[in-house]
Amino acid sequence: MDILNPAFWVFVGVVAGIYGLLALALYVQFSMAGLPNFGHVAFMALAAYTMALLVIRADVALVWAGVAGIAAAVALGLLLGIPSVRLRANYLAIATVAGSEMIRYLSTNLNLTGGAVGSVGMLGPTHFATYTNAWQPFIESITAALRHAVGSVATTDFSMFCLVWVTLGLLLMLFRRLERSPWGRVMKAIREDEEAAASLGKHVEAYKLQALVLGGIVGGLAGILWALEIGVFSPDDFQPTLTFYAYLILILGGMNRVWAIPVGAVLFGVLYSGTRFLSFFPLSLVDTGERAYLRLLIVGLVLVLLMAVRPQGMFGKREELLLEK
Amino acid sequence: MTEHALLVDGIVRRFGGVRAVDGASFTVQDGSITGLIGPNGAGKTTVFNIISGFLRADGGAVTFRGRRLDGFPPHRIAQAGLVRTFQAPRILTRMSVLENLMLGGVKQPGERFALACLLGSASRREREVREEAMAVLDLLRLTHLAPAYAGTLSGGQRKLLELGRALMAAPRLLLLDEPLAGVAPALADQLLDHVGTLRKHRGMTILIIEHDMEAVMSICDWVVAMDQGRVIASGTPRQIQTNERVIASYLGTVAAAHV
Amino acid sequence: MLNEWHMGSLLLQLIYNGLVEGAILALTGLGATLVWGIQRVANFAHGDYMTLGAYVAFLLDVTWSTNPVVAAIGTVVATAALAVGLHFILLRPLRGRGLVALSLITVGLGLVLRNALFLVAGSQPRQYAFNQTAVIDLGFVRVAPAELWTGIAAITAVPAVAAMLAWTPLGKTMRAVADNRDLAEISGIDTDGIGLYVWIVAGALAGLGGAMLALVQGTFDPNLGFNVLFLILTVVVLGGIGNAFGALLGGLVLGVVMEVSTWPPFFGGVPTQYQPVVGFVVLILLLMFRPQGILGRARVL
Repeated sequence: MDILNPAFWVFVGVVAGIYGLLALALYVQFSMAGLPNFGHVAFMALAAYTMALLVIRADVALVWAGVAGIAAAVALGLLLGIPSVRLRANYLAIATVAGSEMIRYLSTNLNLTGGAVGSVGMLGPTHFATYTNAWQPFIESITAALRHAVGSVATTDFSMFCLVWVTLGLLLMLFRRLERSPWGRVMKAIREDEEAAASLGKHVEAYKLQALVLGGIVGGLAGILWALEIGVFSPDDFQPTLTFYAYLILILGGMNRVWAIPVGAVLFGVLYSGTRFLSFFPLSLVDTGERAYLRLLIVGLVLVLLMAVRPQGMFGKREELLLEK
Repeated sequence: MTEHALLVDGIVRRFGGVRAVDGASFTVQDGSITGLIGPNGAGKTTVFNIISGFLRADGGAVTFRGRRLDGFPPHRIAQAGLVRTFQAPRILTRMSVLENLMLGGVKQPGERFALACLLGSASRREREVREEAMAVLDLLRLTHLAPAYAGTLSGGQRKLLELGRALMAAPRLLLLDEPLAGVAPALADQLLDHVGTLRKHRGMTILIIEHDMEAVMSICDWVVAMDQGRVIASGTPRQIQTNERVIASYLGTVAAAHV
Repeated sequence: MLNEWHMGSLLLQLIYNGLVEGAILALTGLGATLVWGIQRVANFAHGDYMTLGAYVAFLLDVTWSTNPVVAAIGTVVATAALAVGLHFILLRPLRGRGLVALSLITVGLGLVLRNALFLVAGSQPRQYAFNQTAVIDLGFVRVAPAELWTGIAAITAVPAVAAMLAWTPLGKTMRAVADNRDLAEISGIDTDGIGLYVWIVAGALAGLGGAMLALVQGTFDPNLGFNVLFLILTVVVLGGIGNAFGALLGGLVLGVVMEVSTWPPFFGGVPTQYQPVVGFVVLILLLMFRPQGILGRARVL
């Protein structure tokens, strides 16, 4: 694809925004409450599957199916979180990995979820199942309205781009406000030393559960937007590595700075989509099939190097990170 | 002044086969400063952990102002007015000194998610808490450090900050675990002054674990001595200083160490 | 009658397979638990160390046609060297960063190793130079030559490793440090220097386990080890983090449970593709009810 084609960059923007949402969901749990979720992608997958299944198999209206999808993601967060909030952090990491792997295995192997084929196979191999019938007219109407405002740049992807980034922007503002509130102060204290917080009368478990729920809501939202953007999905769209892309975005942005998430998301979007669709030297040396591996290799390398050399990200203060707990 | 603020009745705690606390009983009178002394390993900190809910007792009861508190989680105990400090201060190093103090503030509606969404940091209570925190900083003479990361403070300053944070939590009974350990002498005097002032001006009851005998004898009205998980004596500082069992198990060694 | 006899022999077969797979999980899980307990790293690249072992063995066995024993030794040496190298270059300089940060680094490391293998060795399935169709009758079970080799490797390696842990000074030291690092430090053990030996053991066992897994599966690609990573982490938690004997036992138990769960008389048998789900269910139940592991003591978490 042409690097100067605006349609390409709009798509990159959508991808970046959705990963930004996933990173924000992770931020609530990890950066704010200190809960390391290593299987965050399961929230996205479960929400997307729940929504698609309800629309396709139970004829539920898209809006309610979406709400149910988010509710399912929250339920998963609580299911994995409730036994783990009392445990040391590393156990939660393992529990979340196990939970997300379970969702992946089930979605790949059940007939209900369309198996490896994914959403199009939800009514069996002979039907072509789709969940976007109600979505298309909605997004088209937004596109039409936008076309009045900005002209021919407005495509469906452009509408999606606006939708995703407005959502992300509003949520970022909300979380920034939350972070500076007394609520955010308690969260921060729990992340730093939960016994100290408890000794001052703060109900640590209740706050951790709130973080799990919030992370589930935002993660589920990311999954639903992603499903609506790509139109059909399969288990491959929710690879476990997605969670670590979100970590990478957080690290790019410095882990503890919420406003750095969009910057990290854009950088990641360019890095990721750039290596996927563009073909210039030296990328042209690697053939298209192998480029996926190269892309993941680069992601891994950046993750290692950033964690090793610049754990505070682009904006963080190193001294802050190195203050002993 | 005969009312009991705190009644500890026969608490037991085992670790593996060891009885760290073996039926300890004592009372803390309302408005008193009570010292808890004893050699290392006597079970003092374990008693503290049980009172403050960080450890569950295997037996016995803890009653605070007529209310059974044993088995309650730590945050409920703190909310009941029983606030503790830790032997190694547990300050929040990557938060500012001011934030550390404000965290301690009680009755903050903004700590609830829904209100936090609506108000953020702009509320009347938040301003009040900030003022309270500044007043405490003033009292502790740490005002100039308000915006600094707590992690940059010295050991003694950390102790002061933790004391201040506990004060923010509006304690009716303050549990201090070795507040003077590792604190420079000048700062230690300041700390002792604060503790005395708290009782006098705020009517606070204080239970204090401390190894500095001179300090204990000078500020405490009542002293409880422990050894091997049990209370071996309790009385006024003068009585304790002359109690033979206490001298044999503890004061003797302290005296020897000071020669 | 015939059916019952058939079910009985099937069960024996499943137990044999389960023990072999369990031995693989036990050996790799042991390495991972020592690394976690002593080095304070939940190594998300452990599976990729295994994969690398499988490819080194492939190189020695197929490309250079050495005999299986030489291939096994070469593999073990290569992965141990890799693990030690990464320890000194990457992980040791970053110690003290906290478990989550170090684990994230190993996630990135795993991505690099796995995808480098994809680029270098290709994604096509590979297999060793064993006759895959031959059958050897051992009386109670019938096995392919590859299964016989892995069985032999399992019944030599597991007891050997257990003996090493139980009786050698190195084994005792490693267990002491994994059990209580602070106490070990006070007792004068060089808890930093022991990292070298921990990674030698973990790397060697990962390589051996990887080659064995590749043999058992018949064919493999660069996702080989990553696919079982979460089972290995399950073994670590199952045995209690840092508990060496726990990991050995946990691995064997998990291997057998997963295989036997497919036995038809057992609730009709779990379909094979859901085998890993059995593992995850075990893990989640364990985290809920016994987070200290099967052999672990209840500690303040």
